[in-house]
Amino acid sequence: MKKYILMSCFILMFATACNDDLLDTQPETSIPESIAFSTPEKILAQTNNLYKQLQNQSFYGGRFIVFNEQRADQFGQNDGNAATGSAVWNQNVASTNDFVNNVWSVGYTAINASNILISKMNETTVISKELAKNYIAEAKFVRAFCYFSLVQTYAKPYNQDKSSLGLPLRLTPITTSGNNDLARSSVELVYNQILKDLDEAEIDLPVTYATPLLNTSRAKKVTAIALKTRVLLVQNNFDQVISEAKKIVSATAPFQYTEGTLTQKLEPNYSSIFGGSYTGTEAVFSIPFANSTTETPSAQYALAYNYLTQPIIFLAAAGIVSDPVFSAASDARSGLIGTSAANQKVLKKFSVTTAPFRDYVPVMRYAEILLNYAEAAANTNDLIQAEALLKAVRNRSDPTYVFPANDVATKEALIATIQKERDIEFLGEGFRLMDLQRKVQTLPAKKGSIGTAPLVLPTASNYIWPIPSGEISTNKLMVPNP
Amino acid sequence: MLREKYIKLLCCFLFLLSAQIYAQQQNLNGIVVDGKNDLPLSGVIIQSETEEIITNENGEFVIPNQKLPVTLTVSFIGYKTQEIVVNSFDFFNIKLIKDSNQLDEVLISSGYLSQKKSEFSGSVATVSAKQLQNRPSTSFDQLLGGQGTGIDVIQSTSVLNNTPVIRVRGLNTITSGLFPLIVVDGVAVFTGSLGGFVGNNPLSGINPNDIATVDVLKDASAAAIYGSRAANGVMVITTKKGKKGKTRFNYNTWFSRSTPYNLPKLLNAEDYTMIKNEALVNAGKAPGFFLSKNPDGSTVDTNWYDVAYEPGISSNQNLNISGGNETTQYYFSVDYTNQNSFIKNNTFQNYMTRLNLSHEVNKSIRVGINLSYSRAKNVGPNTGAVAGNTLSSSTYNTEYITNEPLGRMTYVLPPNVPVYNPDGSYSIQNGISVGYGANIPSIIGTINAYNLAMVQELDLTTSISKSLLGNIYGEFDITKKLIFRTSYGLNTIDLENKLFLNPIHGGGAAYNGVATNIATDLERTDWANTLTYKDSFNENNHFTFMLGYERIKTTLDSWGASQSNVTDPYYKNYQGSYANISPIGNDLSENALLSYFSNLNYNYKNKYFLSLNYRIDGLSALPEGNKYGSFGGGSVSWNLLEESFLKDSKVRGFLDNLRLRASYGIVGNSEIGNYPAIGTYNSSTYGGAPTLGYSQTANPNLKWETSSKLDLGLNFAMLNNRISVEFDYFNNKIRDLILKTPQSLSAGIPNNYINENVGGMYNTGYEIGINALAVTNRNFNWNISLNLSTLENKVTSLSSDVFVPSVFGVQNMTRVGYSIGSVFAVPTKGVNPDNGQMVFINSEGKEVQYNHIGSPKWTYLDGTAAPAIDNYKDGVIQGPSLPKLFGGLNNTFSYKNFVLNVNLTFAQGNKLYNGTRATNSDQRYFNNGEFIKNRWTTPGQVTDIQKLYYGDNVSAGFSFSSTSKVEDGSYIKFKNVSLGYNVPMELSFLKNTFSSIYVYVQGNNFYTFTKYRGSDPEVSINGNSINSGKDQNVPPNAQVYTLGLNIGF
Repeated sequence: MKKYILMSCFILMFATACNDDLLDTQPETSIPESIAFSTPEKILAQTNNLYKQLQNQSFYGGRFIVFNEQRADQFGQNDGNAATGSAVWNQNVASTNDFVNNVWSVGYTAINASNILISKMNETTVISKELAKNYIAEAKFVRAFCYFSLVQTYAKPYNQDKSSLGLPLRLTPITTSGNNDLARSSVELVYNQILKDLDEAEIDLPVTYATPLLNTSRAKKVTAIALKTRVLLVQNNFDQVISEAKKIVSATAPFQYTEGTLTQKLEPNYSSIFGGSYTGTEAVFSIPFANSTTETPSAQYALAYNYLTQPIIFLAAAGIVSDPVFSAASDARSGLIGTSAANQKVLKKFSVTTAPFRDYVPVMRYAEILLNYAEAAANTNDLIQAEALLKAVRNRSDPTYVFPANDVATKEALIATIQKERDIEFLGEGFRLMDLQRKVQTLPAKKGSIGTAPLVLPTASNYIWPIPSGEISTNKLMVPNP
Repeated sequence: MLREKYIKLLCCFLFLLSAQIYAQQQNLNGIVVDGKNDLPLSGVIIQSETEEIITNENGEFVIPNQKLPVTLTVSFIGYKTQEIVVNSFDFFNIKLIKDSNQLDEVLISSGYLSQKKSEFSGSVATVSAKQLQNRPSTSFDQLLGGQGTGIDVIQSTSVLNNTPVIRVRGLNTITSGLFPLIVVDGVAVFTGSLGGFVGNNPLSGINPNDIATVDVLKDASAAAIYGSRAANGVMVITTKKGKKGKTRFNYNTWFSRSTPYNLPKLLNAEDYTMIKNEALVNAGKAPGFFLSKNPDGSTVDTNWYDVAYEPGISSNQNLNISGGNETTQYYFSVDYTNQNSFIKNNTFQNYMTRLNLSHEVNKSIRVGINLSYSRAKNVGPNTGAVAGNTLSSSTYNTEYITNEPLGRMTYVLPPNVPVYNPDGSYSIQNGISVGYGANIPSIIGTINAYNLAMVQELDLTTSISKSLLGNIYGEFDITKKLIFRTSYGLNTIDLENKLFLNPIHGGGAAYNGVATNIATDLERTDWANTLTYKDSFNENNHFTFMLGYERIKTTLDSWGASQSNVTDPYYKNYQGSYANISPIGNDLSENALLSYFSNLNYNYKNKYFLSLNYRIDGLSALPEGNKYGSFGGGSVSWNLLEESFLKDSKVRGFLDNLRLRASYGIVGNSEIGNYPAIGTYNSSTYGGAPTLGYSQTANPNLKWETSSKLDLGLNFAMLNNRISVEFDYFNNKIRDLILKTPQSLSAGIPNNYINENVGGMYNTGYEIGINALAVTNRNFNWNISLNLSTLENKVTSLSSDVFVPSVFGVQNMTRVGYSIGSVFAVPTKGVNPDNGQMVFINSEGKEVQYNHIGSPKWTYLDGTAAPAIDNYKDGVIQGPSLPKLFGGLNNTFSYKNFVLNVNLTFAQGNKLYNGTRATNSDQRYFNNGEFIKNRWTTPGQVTDIQKLYYGDNVSAGFSFSSTSKVEDGSYIKFKNVSLGYNVPMELSFLKNTFSSIYVYVQGNNFYTFTKYRGSDPEVSINGNSINSGKDQNVPPNAQVYTLGLNIGF
């Protein structure tokens, strides 16, 4: 009898357990592809995600800017550990270097995310056409910005050889395998695409968003135009720099741009650019951080940690920090230079030295637009406008300063003075390498406490970074840099 | 012929010996035969009070000079030992009965069914309780090395309860799970490493003392019943069960002391300052390193090894009770182990208990339960040796090179700086640098090494796992021949991982203290039902047929948070007060497997054996339409000695067993993650606003990864089973490898891979296991067991190279045409005697030299600028990271009551990357090996160490892999040497109380013969990974001495 009771119990168990959906499992902590664009909220989140890619700690969240400074000549390296970028500073990176792989990879991840969003927004019925166009414009801005960052890093400068190998130009979404092989387009074609995207973005981007935070952290019309002034300056296309700049810079001082509720102009107080709300009138585009380590970079990736906490890199004594500006108490910018325990000059722009490292990363400031404009004006012999713009930037920090006549008398002198002003104004913001390379200048040798990094001639193979090993090993049409 | 001579000689010898003493007494004559077939047995040992005699080839014996009555003990391997009293000198007959618990009656368990080894035609390595007992460990898997053919175990670190590398017949996948399937009493258990920086091997929940046997199923025939889970081999563990009879108690205990084995020799303070200042001066700088003084005037000469390591004392207590009556049998055990590594503050405590019960309800119903519980607590500093948490997949250790790990710190910290300030506080410079002593910061740069003593004391990881493992089962005899069995198994692990980093110094300084807690629940249920039909037609046809149904569900539920910015340094735990908190370690996923399987075993006249397996597995992780896969295998074996044409031949007298085996089958790998096929988007925030980003690319065509396994085997025994040999050839071909297929980075695919079925590779090799009773004597016995395996692995197809880019170089490369994870490095020509620069050979075959202070740094030998050496472009595969040959040699010598075990393990033919030597060659502030004194100093000097330039981390193989650090990994190791004593029970005061007492001393990792210049060639910092053979910055292995005691009563 026992046998039969047990058997019946068992059969009952069997019957309840079988024929169910045991094998139909769904992830519960991520959203399936099929519904990832199914609501207006999800689409907005997808758009925000494009900027999230820029916020990546290997990219504009911090490290990419540090790499650019390590490759240029304003900083000396304190830390010999390869993980702190000592090989980057030493101008000695290989294709297998994970930084070389990461920057490229993050840039292209953002590009693919943009391509996916553009394609989805061309089909969507979930949101209005107008909003979809706005999102597409944002995607084009992000795509252009990434191509611009990558082409400067992995290809020869436009002014050195615009017909040389640029980047694989990926403009369609990739969501399957079989898309590995794509040859590099020329540098010129890459720049053409960047400008095309920015022109199109300018049309459909909104003038302003609802809050200062959104105005700072997402692309709006000014942002696309501002980036164009940078791209065109790198191409020495001064006339167009001027025509773009004129859209967003008033003809006379005080230089500013006002449209609707938005005003972009220089902050009266230099140090408030790098603190407070981080979303003042000067911020054209910044990477924001919520006050949580889920968004902020980890220590070795954070600007403040690299420049100040450690510091991993310090201001090289022979660099721009030796300029009298930084020892003159009258210039507000000297207030952001400090001295470390090892008696080295260090940069204090980014002052949150404990995690979460939440200092916003300024990517484009109104001051840059003015100096881009100034340089273009000087190059086109509009010395008066150039000097006025230059003065606006200088006198914001030191209201009583008067440029010596020799510094501004001739076109050449003025251009050199504007360059010096850029070096002073944007110290530590990742501009110096771009400025050297767009002028096809030698990357000077520099001293750090781990030794001396050698100069790099524009003709040398390490003037630009190598194509990463992860691209060479998978993309059969990829031609490595020599 | 030889054997005859040997025995005759032995007989003569014994005869002469005895004849001298007992000349006046009479001889005793007889014959020993098999009790079943009356065939004479030769080699049987017959002991009287005075003599020990072995029967000749006709089974006959003569015992000289005996007095009546004589008590004889008759023993023979595979038969029950008999004691007989002889009252007459007449020729007499002794019949021996086969002992079912011995030799060829060993049972092999497939987990679903047990089979006699003599009828089993698959390839299996069986490890018995004896091979595991009395060997201190934290889990049984550490003990399997060298214990059976085809099993390669690397105990790669001395961090307690770290997961060893286990490979059964090589590596059988690239990016799917690499662990063998481990089944305990029918339940597939969790494998991997769960405890963050301190490891935590879930297998520590299985008490080695409770294990009766481990059957390692290696070929398709044996493993195919596990279908999709069998690609990496299957280990079937059977725990000890109670036996009918009186209650037996066993108490086992040991105490051990562990010390680091073979630490690399580093410079002392004086040599350090000399070498480093030389490097500074060569680099055009002023000397910056100076000796500093202790308050008592002596020179500071810190040995950081002494700071990190001290002898660790461990102990283990184990009690088991077993017994039973006609209907109920039980086995119960409790165990407590408290272990301390030689790494300070690395501790492991484990409480374990097990209850196995079986009960016969009536003649046709049997029920039982096997249940164990353990609570293991692992605590330790970050050593750099643990690659990270993983349940199955191949990992890559990035931890070894960061600032936190202790292994790196012992190698790089300057010996000329003090540990403590005169006031007793830790000597620190700032949040990340140890105190500089007399060294000058502005000249020498940042010392990015912490004060080891401080972080080793304060920054600890704790991992607590509570594991419940067991099954309940019922067996119903529907008819006498048809048996239904159902078993419900459960394995749950309740895991809590904690990490604290102090706010003052070390990894927590930038965060002003970090406390992280992650709680994880792992649960697996396994319900298996089988219907077994056993029958025979006439006397000659025996078969067993089984049908089965099984459902396995695994869930993972993990959540946690990391708090930083401590509000007061008083707090040292997660529950204290902090300013910031963010989520970490969140995961919620499940996986299910639904299977139908069948098995047929057929045996004709004990001569021909056939076994067939077929299994259909459905896996939740695969996409609709591809969820189900069919797996199966078959084997045949042929017992040649049962053939009539051999029955009367001479071979029969010589051989005791001769079997040929062949098997072929197809198995799969189900450790492919929980959702590998679907496209997903992950949520996060940007400036506080929600984001949704592409996180995995879909592959709706993903299908099963399968391996076909071929095995050809031969077993034979000879000289009356004194020597038994098992030989196998295998060839595993893996097709449709599920690979995290690298996508070109510019495609912008999430994580740059898509799960695809693209690769192929094979493992092939030979295995030979020899067991020999070299000497069997009354007082002295010597048993030798040798197992030897060869392995050749080759990747046959891939979409592109598989490797991990790093600022520290690429040491392993998986490339078509080569062994998986081969050691990869840029060829080095050595040091240019003219200028002391290291010369490399680039991909164009040109010699390129490196001058750290040069401008340019890279030049051809004529001084013109050369492109920098590129690890990927210029690197060349140097050889396999898997040994071509490996195995063990186990000797047991027993003399009277003494037992000496000498276990050797060996490996040959693999390359290692000696990254620790690269660290110890580095010309930053790093301390260097003694060998650095051979550096180049004068033109014309021939040496392998380049001219030292301060800051040079390129020349010596630190920034990219260089052949100067590629070494041969071959070794022979005295893995385990133990000497034990069986206390004689004749002593009256013991006799009535105890049944056995055994005491032993033991040395583990006793000595290693190797040309490898690192600490130990048994190393893999990447753990169970395709990236094998890398050694860098991890603490050395332990040498352990143990004193132990077993008592039976």
